[in-house]
Amino acid sequence: MSAVTFDSAVARALEREVQVRRRRHLKLAAWSALAVAALWFSALQIKLSPVALVRGAGYMWDFITRLFPPDLSYLALLGGATVETVQIAIWGTLLAIILSIPLSFLGARNTTPHILVFHLTRLLLNALRAINELVFALIFVSAVGLGPFAGVLAVALHATGMLAKFCAEEIEGVDKGQVEAQMATGATHMQVILFGVAPQIVPQFIGYAIYRLDVSIRSATVLGLVGAGGLGFALIQNMKLFKYHQTATCILVIFLLVLVSDWICGKLRRKVI
Amino acid sequence: MLVPASTKTTVLSVRGLAKSYGNSVHALRGIDIDVREGEFLVILGPSGAGKSTLMRCLNRLVEPTEGKIIHDGQEITSKSRSLRAVRRQFGMVFQQFNLVKRLSVLTNVLTGRLAYRSTWRSLFYNFSKEDKHIAIECLARVNMDHKAFQRADTLSGGEQQRVAIARALAQKPTIILADEPVASLDPKIARQVLTYLKQVSHELGITVLCNLHQVEYTREFAERIIGMSRGKVVFEGTATELTEEILHRIYYRDPDEKDDKSQ
Amino acid sequence: MSIDVQTRTQSIFDELAARQTWKIKHIIYIVLAGAFLAWCADGVNLRPREVFNAVPVIADYFARMVPPKWSFIEAIWKPAIETLYVALWGVVLATIVGLPLGLLAASTVTRWALVRAGAMGILNVLRSISELIWAILFVAAVGLGPFPGALALGMNYGGILGRLYAEAIENVDKGPIEAMEATGASRLQVILFAILPQALPQFVTYNLYWFEVGVRSATVLGMVGAGGIGFELITSIRLFEWREVGLILLFILGMVTIIDLASTYIRSRLY
Repeated sequence: MSAVTFDSAVARALEREVQVRRRRHLKLAAWSALAVAALWFSALQIKLSPVALVRGAGYMWDFITRLFPPDLSYLALLGGATVETVQIAIWGTLLAIILSIPLSFLGARNTTPHILVFHLTRLLLNALRAINELVFALIFVSAVGLGPFAGVLAVALHATGMLAKFCAEEIEGVDKGQVEAQMATGATHMQVILFGVAPQIVPQFIGYAIYRLDVSIRSATVLGLVGAGGLGFALIQNMKLFKYHQTATCILVIFLLVLVSDWICGKLRRKVI
Repeated sequence: MLVPASTKTTVLSVRGLAKSYGNSVHALRGIDIDVREGEFLVILGPSGAGKSTLMRCLNRLVEPTEGKIIHDGQEITSKSRSLRAVRRQFGMVFQQFNLVKRLSVLTNVLTGRLAYRSTWRSLFYNFSKEDKHIAIECLARVNMDHKAFQRADTLSGGEQQRVAIARALAQKPTIILADEPVASLDPKIARQVLTYLKQVSHELGITVLCNLHQVEYTREFAERIIGMSRGKVVFEGTATELTEEILHRIYYRDPDEKDDKSQ
Repeated sequence: MSIDVQTRTQSIFDELAARQTWKIKHIIYIVLAGAFLAWCADGVNLRPREVFNAVPVIADYFARMVPPKWSFIEAIWKPAIETLYVALWGVVLATIVGLPLGLLAASTVTRWALVRAGAMGILNVLRSISELIWAILFVAAVGLGPFPGALALGMNYGGILGRLYAEAIENVDKGPIEAMEATGASRLQVILFAILPQALPQFVTYNLYWFEVGVRSATVLGMVGAGGIGFELITSIRLFEWREVGLILLFILGMVTIIDLASTYIRSRLY
C-alpha cells in the first residue's frame, strides 16, 4: 500500500472510532440522565431531606444518649432469649434443608419429571423468597399462636425458597458428562441423581446452608417484634415500657450474637468449600 | 457390504440404522455392521462422521430414528426392552473420562454395578460384598488399585481413563463401547490406555468397539476396522487393507458425491 | 488371576471394610448432635405432632387469602411503589456509606493496619444491627415516613456492601496494578485507574443483588413506620382481612419477580 492510501486509511479508521466513541458517550449520557431523573423523582417521593437528617440528628443523639449506658445487670436475663433465637434459626434452617432437597430437584430443568412441575416449583420458590420472614411470622402467629414455634416456621419457609432456588441452579449447572456416564451403566433415574448429580453439588449446598443459618440468626433476632420469640420480643417489650437502658442491652446482645454467628459460620463455610 | 461369515459368532448386528435431528441434520444414514465376539473393532473416521452417534444408539443414550440393533439374538431397539437391561450389557468409556470427580476411585468403579442393585439399597451409597469384590478386581486388572481411596480428580488423565475402563468392566458387559478414549491424552499415555483396553478385554473375552480418529493407533491396535464418513460406512476390513485411497475416501469425501450404492 | 493380584484385592477389601465400620467417635458425634437438636426443638416448642397439625391450619389461612381483594389495589399501589423508592435510595445511600469505608478497609488500598481495622469495625457494627432496629432509631430521629426507611437500609446495607467492596478490591488482578506502579503512577492514580475499574463490574453485581434484597426488606419496614407497604400489610393482618393480605402479597410477589427479571437482563447486558 502506498503512503498516501495508508494515511487516508488511518484517517478513516480514526474518524470511525471517533463516531463509535461519540455514540457510546451519547448512550452513556442518556442512561445516566435517566438514572438521575429516577433518583430525583424517588427522592422527592420519599421526601429525602439532608436538612431533616441534620435536624433529626439532634433527636437521634438524644435517643442514643438515653440508651447509654446499657444496663449490664440485665444481660443475665437475656440468656434465655438469646438461646431461643439461636434455636429458632437452627431448626428453621434444618427444616429448610429437608424441604429444599426434593424441591430443588423438582425445580431444576434437567431433573424435573415434567416441565409443568418445574414451572410450578419455581413459582412456589419465588413466592417463598419474595415474602419476608417477618410477614410469614405475622401470619403464623395468627395461625399457631405467639411464641417461637411460629418463628421457626417463618424462618423455615423463607429459607426453603432461597436454599432450593440456589440448589436448583447448581443442579442445572452440573457437568453433563458425569451424568451421561452414570446413565450409560444402566443406573435408574434415582441412582443417576445419587451418584452423578449429588456429589457435584453437595459442598456448595452445605456452604450455602451455613450462610442461610447465619442470615436466619439475624432474622430471628427481630422476629420477636411480632411476637414470634427470641431477643426481638425482649427488645420491643422494653421499648414499649420506655426502659431504654435495657433496650440498649438488647441491642448490644443482638449485635454480639450476629458478630459471633458471622465469625463461626464464616469459619465453617471455609472448611466445607 | 458384509464380510463373509468367519468362525466367530456375531454378537451384535446393526441393520439400516439411521438417526436424524429434524429434517436437516442426518447424523447416521443407514448403517449395516456385524460385530464378532471378542474382537477389537475400531471405527475410524473424522469428527462429525457419526461415530459417537452410532455408539450412543447402541446403548440407547440416543434413540435411532430408523433401523434395528440385534444383540445376543434379541432386538434391543424396540421400546419394550428395559433400558437398564440393555445398558448394562454395554460398558462405555468416554473421551472426557467422566468419572465423578469428588468420589473416590473405588466408588467410581462401584457405580458400574448400579444396574445390578435396586434403587433403595443404593440410597445409602451401600454396595454388596460381591459388588465390592468385583470392583476391586477390575481396579486391579488395570493396575489402579493402589489409588483406590483417592479422589478421582487427583489422578492424571491416563490414570482416570484406566479407572473408567475398570468401571466399564465392573458392569460385566458383553461389549465395551469406547468413544474416542484417548483423544485427550498424549501419545505415550494413549498407547498405554489402549493396550490396557485391548489386553483386559482379551483376558475376559469382552468385545470392544472403539471410536478413533487417529490412523496410527488404528493400525496398531485394530483387529478389524470400519471406516465411517458423513454418517455412512465406507470401508470394512483389516489394517493391511487400509490403503491411502481408502483413507482418502474416509477423510476427504466429496460433499457433492451422491450416495453410492455400489459401496 | 495371579496370587499377587489376589492378595492386593484382599488387602483393599479389608481396608474398605475398615473404613466403613462405624467408629465409636462417629456414633458419639451423632448421638450428641441428636441430643442437641432435640434440646433446641424443645426450646422452640417444636414437636412433630404440632408441625403436622399446623400444616392444615396454615393452609387454611392461605386459602382465606384467595381470591385476593382486587379493589384494595387502589389503597396499596402507592405505598407499594414507595417500597421501591425506599429500596432504591437505600442502596444509593449504602453505596455512599460503603464505598469509602470499603476502600479504607481494603488491604491493597490502605497501608495502615489501624485504619483498616477501624473501618472494618465500623462496617461490622453497621451490618450487625438489623435494618429494623436502624429504622426504629431513624424514625425517632426524623419522624415517620419512607425517609428513615431509606436511611436504615443505607446503614445496614452500607456495612454489608462496604465489606463486599473491600473483598472485591482485594481480589482484583494484581497484574495491571504492578504495571501502573511500574510507570510511576501515584497511589491515587493506581487506585483510580487500575483497581477500581477492575472491581467495578463486581460492585454493580453486588448493588443489583442487594437492591433486590432491599425491596424485600423494605416491605416490612413500614411495620415500624418507616415507609413502604409494611404498614398496610400489618394493619390488614391485625384486622384479619385476609383477602387484602392476599392482594398485598401478590403485589409484592409481582414486584420482586419483575425486578428479578430486569436485573437478570441487566446483568446479561453488562457482560
